[in-house]
Amino acid sequence: MSALKLKLRAEPSQRVDLSQLSPDKLAASSIAEIEKLVIAEGKKPITVGDCFAVSGDPSGALHFEGGSEKLDFVGADNVGEIIVEGDVGSYAGRQMKFGSLEIRGNAGSALASNLRGGQIVVRGNAGDRIGHPRSGEKDGIAGGTVIVMGDAGDFASERMRRGTLIVKGNIGKYAGARMMGGTIFAEKGLSEGAGTQMRRGTLIGPTLERQLATFVDCGTHDLLIVKIMERFWRDTIGDLAPPVITKAPRRLMGDMSGIGKGEILLTAG
Amino acid sequence: MSDMSEAKAGAPITRNGITIDDTFAEAFGMSASGLIITADTAKWARQSALTMTGFGTSVIGCGAECGIDYEVPPEDTPDGRPGVRVLIFGFAPQLVEDQMKNRVGQCVLTSPGSACFNGVESSEKISLSGGPRFFGDGWQISRKLGKKRYWRVPVMDGEFVIEDKAGVVTDAVGGGNMLVVGENRAGVLETCELAVEAISKVRDVITPFPGGIVRSGSKVGSKYGAPASTNDAFCPVLRGAVDSQLGEQDKCVLEIVIDGLTSHSVGDATKAGLAAVLEAGPSRGVRRISAGNYGGNLGQHHYHLKDYLP
Repeated sequence: MSALKLKLRAEPSQRVDLSQLSPDKLAASSIAEIEKLVIAEGKKPITVGDCFAVSGDPSGALHFEGGSEKLDFVGADNVGEIIVEGDVGSYAGRQMKFGSLEIRGNAGSALASNLRGGQIVVRGNAGDRIGHPRSGEKDGIAGGTVIVMGDAGDFASERMRRGTLIVKGNIGKYAGARMMGGTIFAEKGLSEGAGTQMRRGTLIGPTLERQLATFVDCGTHDLLIVKIMERFWRDTIGDLAPPVITKAPRRLMGDMSGIGKGEILLTAG
Repeated sequence: MSDMSEAKAGAPITRNGITIDDTFAEAFGMSASGLIITADTAKWARQSALTMTGFGTSVIGCGAECGIDYEVPPEDTPDGRPGVRVLIFGFAPQLVEDQMKNRVGQCVLTSPGSACFNGVESSEKISLSGGPRFFGDGWQISRKLGKKRYWRVPVMDGEFVIEDKAGVVTDAVGGGNMLVVGENRAGVLETCELAVEAISKVRDVITPFPGGIVRSGSKVGSKYGAPASTNDAFCPVLRGAVDSQLGEQDKCVLEIVIDGLTSHSVGDATKAGLAAVLEAGPSRGVRRISAGNYGGNLGQHHYHLKDYLP
């Protein structure tokens, strides 16, 4: 498949905003035009050409060769295919609507901020506040799928509305806080504060570090919706799908300090 | 069920000892939707589907025409359990939705271990969960996966899962038919059973009457003002009293009505049914195949029997 390649020349001297660089936005531009795009304002603006060696076909996918934790907003508003061979900074994949973003390194804070759709895969770790809604926004992740192969930080999927977050490593505190829908699957277990003030939605993991007093134990149950979710994940993300749940999960309902329609499913029983 | 006033149009054809009238089945445009009902076992998926499609023979008296299309293997159902696909036909999408709401609410929601999913992919949707989910009395919760939303309704054996929307098509066909005429009821019935069995292998169609077979074919209108009444031209016991379509040896007529999601599927079902009757031959007393029509002026779809012969 044809791709536009952006080879990182060196670590940027300051944080850069790459929100202009998505396949749909660049499709009609020439290499020269892309090189002139300003990605950091200031006394001495930085352009794409200053940071990256640009080559390839702008009408195809976007391929970053090399990464840095100073590359912010990678894949923001993306509707195409983006691959990053390295780390990214904050707000990667923010408000993506569909398409895919694969980060073959670590992601900074606020990965998938207000995500609307599509698929984000982080091969390394992700920072705090995955899905974080910015000021004035009602929802965190509002659709799509985020898969973190490594660890995720605190407050993952706060104020999540829809979609799926799968964390294959450890997940930080307060996952799913103030959640309003969607699913978080923490394959190594949920940490302290998971589901704090959640209204709706589902958190799944083998264990929970400390159950909040505002969650009630409803016992172990074979839930059909789990089978439906497993089939959906298998069909949409294939090998990246979480492991099949073989034992009837324990269902905790909460947060009863609110409307209490959320649930934590503990697959170790 | 159909009027036979102008059933015969030309010279009949004879195949394997059975006469096929040169006539056509006249069918109508309808709206239709479909569901996949699953359960812990195939037995209970089928039980739920049978209950839901009961009293669904004629849209005139039942509000909808319903039936089982086929059994869905676990690998093809959304929840990996055995399933049954049912189809439901009505005059308009809203009427199909109303019927689904009642039938699912009373017959699927109530059936042990059941779940209910959309069974027809279409850009036009109707509400599937609109009634049943409120049985949850506020405890119902939804889960959106991709573009589909599922409702989870707490019930006494766990959770009833139902998809939020079902697809509906407005170019479905209702009223495809064939009439099997013979010398004795047992033989005609047995032959019709073979035809229904053959039709059941065709996807996207149902035969909504009991066992797929109608003994009370009707004509339009009635001296009492009812919308339909007995098809006297095909009633053997009236042969001398009316303008009968039957011969002296014709003692029984049974009809197979076919509804399909597409005109093509009704055509395929007609072909399968005719082939089965002709293959069975005259040994059971079947003498003739005809079809019901209204002269061709009422229904948009005409299925000329000669075009569907094997």
